[in-house]
Amino acid sequence: MPTAVNETLRPSYRAAAVTAAAVLALYVVTLAPTTAMWDASEYITAAYTLGIPHPPGNPLFVLLGRVASLLPFGNVAFRINLLAAVCSALAAGIWFLVAERVLAQWIEVRWVRRVGAVLAALLSATAFAVWNQSVVNEKVYTVSLAFFAVVSWLTVLWCDDPDGRRADRILLLIAYLIGLGYTNHPAGFLVGPAVATAVLVRRPRTLLRWRLLLGAVFALAVGLTPFAFEPIRAAHHPALNEGDPTGCTDRIGFACTFSDTTVKRLMDNVNRVQYGKPDLSERQAPFSAQMGMWWLYFKWQWLRDPHDGARLLQDFLALIFLSLGIAGGVVHYRRDRASFWFFGPLIGTTTVALVYYMNFKYGASQAPELAGVAREVRDRDYFYLWSYSAWSVWAALGLVATWRFLAERGGPTPRWRTTAPVLVLGVLPLVGNFRAASRAGEWATREWARDVLNSVEPYGILITGGDNDTFPLWYAQEVEGVRPDVTVAVTSLLNTDWYMRGLLRRPAVRYDEAAGPAVYRGKNWPVPTKPIISLTPAELAQVPEYLDVRAPLRFDQGDIHAVIDPRRLEVGVPLRSDLLVLQMLKDNAGVRPFYISRSTAGYAQALGLDAYALTQGLVTKIAPTPITASADTVTVGGLGHVDVSRGLALWKSYRFPAALIKRGDWVDRPSAGIPALYTITALALGQALEQQGRAAEARSLRQQGLDIAEGARITDWFVGAAPPSPAPAAGSDAPRGTPVPARP
Amino acid sequence: MPRSVSGARRRAHVLRVTAVALIFVGFVDLVRGGTVLAPVALVVGYLVLAPLAFLID
Repeated sequence: MPTAVNETLRPSYRAAAVTAAAVLALYVVTLAPTTAMWDASEYITAAYTLGIPHPPGNPLFVLLGRVASLLPFGNVAFRINLLAAVCSALAAGIWFLVAERVLAQWIEVRWVRRVGAVLAALLSATAFAVWNQSVVNEKVYTVSLAFFAVVSWLTVLWCDDPDGRRADRILLLIAYLIGLGYTNHPAGFLVGPAVATAVLVRRPRTLLRWRLLLGAVFALAVGLTPFAFEPIRAAHHPALNEGDPTGCTDRIGFACTFSDTTVKRLMDNVNRVQYGKPDLSERQAPFSAQMGMWWLYFKWQWLRDPHDGARLLQDFLALIFLSLGIAGGVVHYRRDRASFWFFGPLIGTTTVALVYYMNFKYGASQAPELAGVAREVRDRDYFYLWSYSAWSVWAALGLVATWRFLAERGGPTPRWRTTAPVLVLGVLPLVGNFRAASRAGEWATREWARDVLNSVEPYGILITGGDNDTFPLWYAQEVEGVRPDVTVAVTSLLNTDWYMRGLLRRPAVRYDEAAGPAVYRGKNWPVPTKPIISLTPAELAQVPEYLDVRAPLRFDQGDIHAVIDPRRLEVGVPLRSDLLVLQMLKDNAGVRPFYISRSTAGYAQALGLDAYALTQGLVTKIAPTPITASADTVTVGGLGHVDVSRGLALWKSYRFPAALIKRGDWVDRPSAGIPALYTITALALGQALEQQGRAAEARSLRQQGLDIAEGARITDWFVGAAPPSPAPAAGSDAPRGTPVPARP
Repeated sequence: MPRSVSGARRRAHVLRVTAVALIFVGFVDLVRGGTVLAPVALVVGYLVLAPLAFLID
């Protein structure tokens, strides 16, 4: 017969499952119907094509995502987004169990414990970063969160009873899951120190049991074996094959798979060598600023206020939840020391230690008054998702402690029901974050990809600059089959040694006129017969990482005579990517349409190609001869030559504006350059029409542009009559390892 | 040894063998270029059967 204590400790698995189901329902209601900005498109494409995303390659996620993509309902992106939702809902259910387990030590009333546990699940599920990442599969973090939660629960169970065969098996399973979690993301190891601390404090003798330790090492190693996926799959050269971690050039084989080249490339991938992160002793921003970044995003968790309309309330709530979390931690320490020695270090690892390890530059939205400091290209709140999720458990414990304090003030019998209104605090993030966290009805990114690809003539080469003008295009081409005839080449990856190899392997796809835009119909588009670059793989390998030249360079090809001033290039000298772009232009000028995406913010001008650049909607076509003004080619200040009739025809086919205006917001400010690009395009076309004497059309187009700006809440970017300079919209989170000399 | 204990051990052993076999099949199909069976086998092997195999005595 179970004792009273055992009865109290019995986990409410059914209630946890119901809670997880409720969280999942919330996520489904707010789920993105398609892809999103930043890495979402890359990871959805990688999963669908069973490919390899950027280092470390995340093989476990790719396998899981591929299985999710096989679900028999919804579109591919929806199915993979659902994976993120399921993982986070699972984590919420487990946080329910953890909180209930801690509360069982000091709350006698079962329904009160359950309410506290529901609060923990709710807070952790509706903290902004968790919610926002759970409704689109932007990366691999929600899978990691599920691993965190499962390992946490197993460790709590082990702490309850650390002796015997069952306890040993739990430890082995924990070791296995930590290894397996690492193959999803290196953050899988973050729970390791917390588990080690729990073992050390709860049953230190465990560390002397060498057979068990050997077993744990073996289990950890088994958990790491999914990394074998990378060289095997890479040898099949899938559409997305970042890092190309194989020595097999033609087909998979034993010798090339086990070659030194494969081993080196795989290890480079796993260790993320291409990112060239500095040593931890070399801080990219002061540690205080890095903690400030964590605090900024902490404030976002309880009330996401993207347009700074309620800053005081946001600050106030942040202080409340900080205090509740601290109170929860203190209560946890006092009432349930056994599990505290796991959970406390976990909080420490996912906050201070993680901040130190990540060593970020200033956040994209942090301290805007500081000019000239190095910044992350985007807000990295998602990296602290585990931190805020775990903190929510402590905040819930703190809230229950407050509730208990209030309930016991009136007399010997706690008045739980009459003091329950204090729990409304736990619902505030659900209400306050709903609009910003929800991605329901967000089609804009997919439409952006479609609009850009359709701006390119059949069989064109399109040079892009970073994540947001590249990954959505990969998604559109590989997952939805939109304009696969276009070759997309992103400059940030052209600096690596593997990317061009993959582009050369990409099969040529015939243009589907019926599916393409009307403006290209009824014309003859010659099918390319040559590869996009004339260099052999051996010659490609010889292209230097950069040219250490500061003087202007000449580029001559046919009628193109350009002067490249290195000072106008991104780092002050021509990089490998610039050399390859010029080589591609050399090989294709006059043969194949050659474009540069306008999201690159003036890359054509940086290459000295101003005289050959013709704006056609969202892209700039590089003509093989100098552009001359004509009735249909108008010069617009800041943009140069604009192809009016093509631009108008494309504009009428663009779907992004309607999708954005319907949504009525653009929460992620660092990527707001995308809607800005549409506004600039509309204003420029309006200006061109004005010059042609088409005043009514010009007014209509300008209004459409301003409507987009208003929809994205960036109207203040467009004060004044003239179109502003192109806003950088690409957003590069790309390799940083290229060693270049300092600017002169 | 009681029959029930013996049966449980046999089941645990079968589970372990099945987990290893499924993961092996997954990798073999992956080598062949499979994109459906391979991920399904590997996910079930790594995330369902292997954890159970570790846990069940």
